[in-house]
Amino acid sequence: MARIELSGIQKRWGNVWGVRDVDIDIGDEEFVVFLGPSGCGKTTTMRMIAGLEEPTEGEIRMDGEVMNEIDARDRDVAMVFQGYALYPNMTIYENIRFPLRMRDVPAGDHDRLIRQAADMTELTEYLDRKPSALSGGQRQRAALARAVVRQPQAFLMDEPLSNLDAKLRQAMRVQIKHIQRELKITTVYVTHDQIEAMTLADRIVIMQSGAIQQIGTPDEIYNDPANTFVAGFIGAPPMNLIKGQVDGGIFTASGITVDGLRSDMSGAVTLGVRPEDCAVTQSDANLTGEVFGVEPTGDLTYLTLKTGDAMIEVKADRSYRRELGVDEQIAFDRERLFLFDAKTGTRLR
Amino acid sequence: MASVRKSRSESLFIRYLILGAWALFCLAPVLWFLSVGLRPRVEIITPRPIYWPTFSLDAWHMIWEDWPMAKYLRNSVLAILGSVLIDLVLAIPAAYSLSRYTYRGRDDIGFYILSTRMMAPAIVAIPIFFLFRNMGLLDTIWALMIIYAAVNLSIVTWIIRSYMLDIPKELEDAARTDGASDMRILWEIIIPAVLPGIITAAVIAMIFAINEFLFTLLIASTPDAYTMSVALANFTGGSDGVIYNAIALVAFLAFVPVFLVVVAIQKHLSRGLTMGAVKG
Repeated sequence: MARIELSGIQKRWGNVWGVRDVDIDIGDEEFVVFLGPSGCGKTTTMRMIAGLEEPTEGEIRMDGEVMNEIDARDRDVAMVFQGYALYPNMTIYENIRFPLRMRDVPAGDHDRLIRQAADMTELTEYLDRKPSALSGGQRQRAALARAVVRQPQAFLMDEPLSNLDAKLRQAMRVQIKHIQRELKITTVYVTHDQIEAMTLADRIVIMQSGAIQQIGTPDEIYNDPANTFVAGFIGAPPMNLIKGQVDGGIFTASGITVDGLRSDMSGAVTLGVRPEDCAVTQSDANLTGEVFGVEPTGDLTYLTLKTGDAMIEVKADRSYRRELGVDEQIAFDRERLFLFDAKTGTRLR
Repeated sequence: MASVRKSRSESLFIRYLILGAWALFCLAPVLWFLSVGLRPRVEIITPRPIYWPTFSLDAWHMIWEDWPMAKYLRNSVLAILGSVLIDLVLAIPAAYSLSRYTYRGRDDIGFYILSTRMMAPAIVAIPIFFLFRNMGLLDTIWALMIIYAAVNLSIVTWIIRSYMLDIPKELEDAARTDGASDMRILWEIIIPAVLPGIITAAVIAMIFAINEFLFTLLIASTPDAYTMSVALANFTGGSDGVIYNAIALVAFLAFVPVFLVVVAIQKHLSRGLTMGAVKG
């Protein structure tokens, strides 16, 4: 329904930086997830899109129209909040109706639209209840219904699932994506949960300290990280980042040797390898380490090895079992190694 | 096990004993008033103790027939309700502004509002008398309304403000993105959410207004504007001497409605009196 462009967006409170130099072009019907640790500026960026914060610098455009001076209530966006923000004194029916009344939707259409939204979020039988009489998941669905009911230009969702338990979160994730696809509404979604980002997003925007680290599809973010922050933030367990030296195509760190790398580099680097690209081996090992932890999860086993002062995470076979303290050998998948500048953390390509 | 149970029932007994004694201590004056109010005048002023009191409605008839008590009651009710209404109309927007917007001097303004309560009323008594005299409002219930409202405005504002501070900011953000203007947010979201606070503040203001004496005495110079509290004082003078049973009965009647209201809202009242001391 709408294209959202942010150009040169900055937010400052006195000397405190909230967001610096954010440029992003969100396409019509696109699902974009802002991902980052708390305090990285992702929520502030979303609140600027909603009109709840004013950018210090830069321009926000929706469908080409500059929105900076336009009040939140006149921007046609619907927001879903972490704490649900349902109006406690109104029934669920009245809650869903509220945006229709505020935006002067003809009263004759209200009932039909409300029931449609309630149906979509499976809330029909709870319409007469007050929010306090609903469970967390139901409240979240009610908040979603209130956003859906008026078919806005864009959905803005601020950590909508973080108050729910793991099982419910997974179910709601599927529901949110389904509704977004069905209504074809541009959606900006803020989260610190990488699984939510990976599963929901058409594109992920990774932020840290108010600045964008990388923008890309989930595949690009996972398989082609731009720096050590992105590499370490995505994936569970996260990518192993090993500090060492590279010279003549050979990487060395304490207990670790990797050859066959590009031979045109030398000096201090960080080697990145994902736990699933490490394999327990008998020969041709890249590293030998002491077994520090073995954690079976059912479908696979997390193995933690200690080598020198580094800890290496390995995803091993589900039947893998070993005593602590014994030596184990690991080989890396050479096609799946990443090199980063040791100082700046930038990817060396 | 048995000894544990015994000591528990013992401690329960002691607890009830203490609470019962305290309740009796608090209720004794009230019951004493009722007992004095419903006895003939001669019996109250007799120096000998009386073990079997005589029931009499002398005082009851006296206050309604010899004294314009209905008028005093009406004055009290009108002045108090009017003042509470003025307070709410002024305090709700003020509290909203103090709790929600950031602007220069906000905290100073908030403190100034509160500080009006810190001053001893007698300090401004004389200026207020001249002020109302010049406005031609002496001896009217309009003046009482204004003065009660002024005296209680600070406390009403601060109680409502403390309730407003507890409302999550998200709720307003949601209403704003839903398309609501500031006035509609205040009217449709904030006021319903702080209704218990508003009721508490109104009741507290009412209690203070009922008990107000100094300014009422100053402004009401004839029975036209007498309220219950000032009328009570008038039972003490004149050729009839101190009419104890009438005083006691009026005091009791003035006490009962307040007591009932407080019982009805006591859950909110304790919260209102701490005024966000825990949070906010």
